Amino acid sequence: MDFKFTEEQELIRKNVREFCLKNVEPIAAEIDENSRHPAELFQKLSDGGWMGIPIPQEYGGAGADFLTSIIVVEELSRSCASTGFTISTHAGIVCTMILLFGTEEQKKNYLTPMAEGRHLGAFALTEPGAGTDVMAVTTAAVLDGSDYVINGTKTFTSNGPTAGTYLVFAWTDKSAGRKGMSTFIVPREAPGFRVGEHFKKMGLRSSQTSELIFKDCRVSKNNLLGKEGAGLPMAMAGFDGGRIGIAAQCVGILQAALDESIRYSKERIQFGSPIARNQAIAWMIADMATDLSAARFLAYHAAWLKDQKLPFSKEAAMAKLYASEAAMRHTVKAVQIHGGYGYCKGAKVERLMRDAKITEIYEGTSEAMRMVISGTVLR
Amino acid sequence: MSGVWIISEKRRQSLELLNIGRQLADKMGTHAAALLYHDREHAEDCVSHGADEVMLLPPLAGEEPAESRIPAIAEEAKKGDPDLILLSATPRGKNMAALLAARLNVGLVSSCTQIDYDEGSKTLVMERLAYGGAAVQKVVCSARPAMATIPPRTYETAMPKSGRQGNIRELPSPSSSAIKVIERKVKAKEAKDISEARVVVCVGRGMEKEEDLTIARQLAEAVSGSIGCTRPIAEELHWLPEELCIGLSGIQVKPDLYLGIGVSGQVQHVTGIRNAKVIAAVNKDENAPIFKASDFGIVGDLYDVVPKLISELKK
Amino acid sequence: MPTVIACFKWVIDEAYIRRGPSGDLDFSSVDYKIGEYDRNAIEEAVRLKEASGAKAIAVTVGMPEAAKGVKDALSRGIDEAYFIADSSFGNLDSSQTALILTEVIRSRIEHYDVILCGEGSSDLYAQQVGPRLAEQLGIPCISFVQKLSLAKDQLVAERRVDEGIEVITAPLPALVTVLPDINVPRIPGVKDTLMAGKKPTAKIIKDDLPPLSEPLVRTISLTSSRMERSCERFGTDAAEIARFVGSLRKKGVIG
Repeated sequence: MDFKFTEEQELIRKNVREFCLKNVEPIAAEIDENSRHPAELFQKLSDGGWMGIPIPQEYGGAGADFLTSIIVVEELSRSCASTGFTISTHAGIVCTMILLFGTEEQKKNYLTPMAEGRHLGAFALTEPGAGTDVMAVTTAAVLDGSDYVINGTKTFTSNGPTAGTYLVFAWTDKSAGRKGMSTFIVPREAPGFRVGEHFKKMGLRSSQTSELIFKDCRVSKNNLLGKEGAGLPMAMAGFDGGRIGIAAQCVGILQAALDESIRYSKERIQFGSPIARNQAIAWMIADMATDLSAARFLAYHAAWLKDQKLPFSKEAAMAKLYASEAAMRHTVKAVQIHGGYGYCKGAKVERLMRDAKITEIYEGTSEAMRMVISGTVLR
Repeated sequence: MSGVWIISEKRRQSLELLNIGRQLADKMGTHAAALLYHDREHAEDCVSHGADEVMLLPPLAGEEPAESRIPAIAEEAKKGDPDLILLSATPRGKNMAALLAARLNVGLVSSCTQIDYDEGSKTLVMERLAYGGAAVQKVVCSARPAMATIPPRTYETAMPKSGRQGNIRELPSPSSSAIKVIERKVKAKEAKDISEARVVVCVGRGMEKEEDLTIARQLAEAVSGSIGCTRPIAEELHWLPEELCIGLSGIQVKPDLYLGIGVSGQVQHVTGIRNAKVIAAVNKDENAPIFKASDFGIVGDLYDVVPKLISELKK
Repeated sequence: MPTVIACFKWVIDEAYIRRGPSGDLDFSSVDYKIGEYDRNAIEEAVRLKEASGAKAIAVTVGMPEAAKGVKDALSRGIDEAYFIADSSFGNLDSSQTALILTEVIRSRIEHYDVILCGEGSSDLYAQQVGPRLAEQLGIPCISFVQKLSLAKDQLVAERRVDEGIEVITAPLPALVTVLPDINVPRIPGVKDTLMAGKKPTAKIIKDDLPPLSEPLVRTISLTSSRMERSCERFGTDAAEIARFVGSLRKKGVIG
């Protein structure tokens, strides 16, 4: 076994941390409060080449392994979980799917600009009536000459209002069941496409989420990603990578909760001594540190498997399940440690707790993760 | 030959160096000498403040930099073979000291905060800060002469004694340097020298806008103090001139009261205020390291607290 | 094509130094970094390279672990590096470091125009390697520079002196030590870091060098510098503000 990062990975972690302390940490509370997409920050991220980390250099990326991209998501999330998630969805799912399944032309036209950070990508599967149950999707695409015509509505689409390129899932042959769904690359300017309602969320507020509306939306048949009918397996492959990204996001949230809790409990004096000297507080911190390590190793291991081209679906699900539940559990504790101060706006732990909740829900709920894991181990 | 030499171009700094220089010379049973830049009056001043001998360096041609004097000083040091050479840790003092130490191939203790002579072992033990102020390093020089630079205001100026006699002599003319000075921009001092101030109000990154410096100025006025700042305020934001920047790489202050507003208290900054008699701070982050270095701390937003402080001070 | 050399030191990040139980320094959980001020030297070398098509070379002396620092420097835009490493190079004094650098620059780098150093290392901050290196190489030294440009056969620098600023010209080659405000060092992107290991690095070991000189300054102790302060806290209501001002008056530090 080898638990050592490469020198490059260690340097990259330091550089992201420095970037975050300079550019992310100072605005994180404000963009949360105002539910604002920080365009200026994303400009800096793309200038620094942080937008296409796991994408090869020939397609405008940094050419790093997946583990390195996970380190970056973790460190970004430690300062701002919204930013970490936005990058994770963009690079870890959308860019990665085009890299895996796209034609050379699609990689040139859609992957490269995204990996270079010229615009964001979004992944559009969920619909008002179709969450965990993907078969309930109703959006459909019909071939008309050399175009596909897409009709339907997607919802809860992360990066929906801010993206330039969308991966959209629609039936091309509903009768074929799991083999009847296809994936389309839809540019924002496609006729018949518009961004619908923006959602106001409990947490992860600077990540923009919206409905997407397709009304006779036309895209060239060259925008079909992979083969007709291959949509669901591709979506699952995208999710597998995305779940490691969510696990990394949770590790960042947990690290921040631990940092804040250690700092506060050593400074806060009650009954004449720092509250960290109370076993009740010290043990909460011990559990937090332990779960952080466990979540971290699950996430890194899943990323490592992916880099080794070994099966990793189960490990990705385990990492996401464990890390997201640990993040929720311990951000609640972190608020508890901070007492009344932790419940007030301005305390970082207050934001961390709201941000943590979504990680148990999106990109597969905890219940869906248990289905995946039990389905594998009981097979 | 032997002796303790001080090299200085400014009156106040030379008298501070003579204070410690004279004390050490007495302990070591040797004489104290001052090497000054072409100023007779200054030379006589140094004699009355403890110099047994003054060496005067002739003036420089307009475009010659101070370092043209290095060869002459080095020659004289080789002849005179002093035990110790002291300079002020100002930009020029540090530069001259490093070049002279390199020329003489001897050790130099930079920004030395304390020098003791151990009479038993007959060695000079010097103290300085390391790791951005987190550590105290004790060192000895292993070659002769030992050299040190001492931050201004580390020592009081020497006391004058009337009737003291000393020998004043001129050194040979300086040589010509490859470096030429083509322009000198003397900085118009925005405020009085903060290293002299009895009260310093220091502005940190907690200040949100340049206009808000007014609040700091009002507070400074209320406590009859001078304004200083942390490194980011001077070097990144350029809200205040560099000569008001307090810290390891800036000015070391020694006021009766240091009052930091919106200062987080990075170790490099705290190093510059460690000799303040009382340190007080206002910061909204109760975990800011400045509070660990403070006697009195107010946990609160400076925009709320400072106006209240001003009105309380005016009562 | 001009050649610019940046010297740097891979130092302990002082933020990780803890105070041990008896006032000693606890280095058990430290991390390392390129010295704060040396980052400005590297950045300035890369800027000169970008402005004039120069070649930027980095040189460092240190422990074998500083290999990571070499990659760090290369990721910041440096073209090639000279890494002089030995496990005994952890506690060199400035004169020893300067002599090693002199030897390597003299014997391995045929031509150079400017050598850049930070104003001091961020660990010991003796501020001497630059001037000593210049003296050994017999080239002019301009310290505390906040603005630098290269012209034909000479450099123009603005340096900080006691009274303000001096604009200096010096013939090339010359050595310059830079102040932190000369530039804002870039944060390398992922690609820059990944490409760093592919750039040429010459590794030089102790046996390749003449015998090491004796140190001119010996450290006899290194202890934590704790400030003894009373750390009294106050609130923000009127009574607390009055108590705060009262405390200052009691100390006699305000009128």
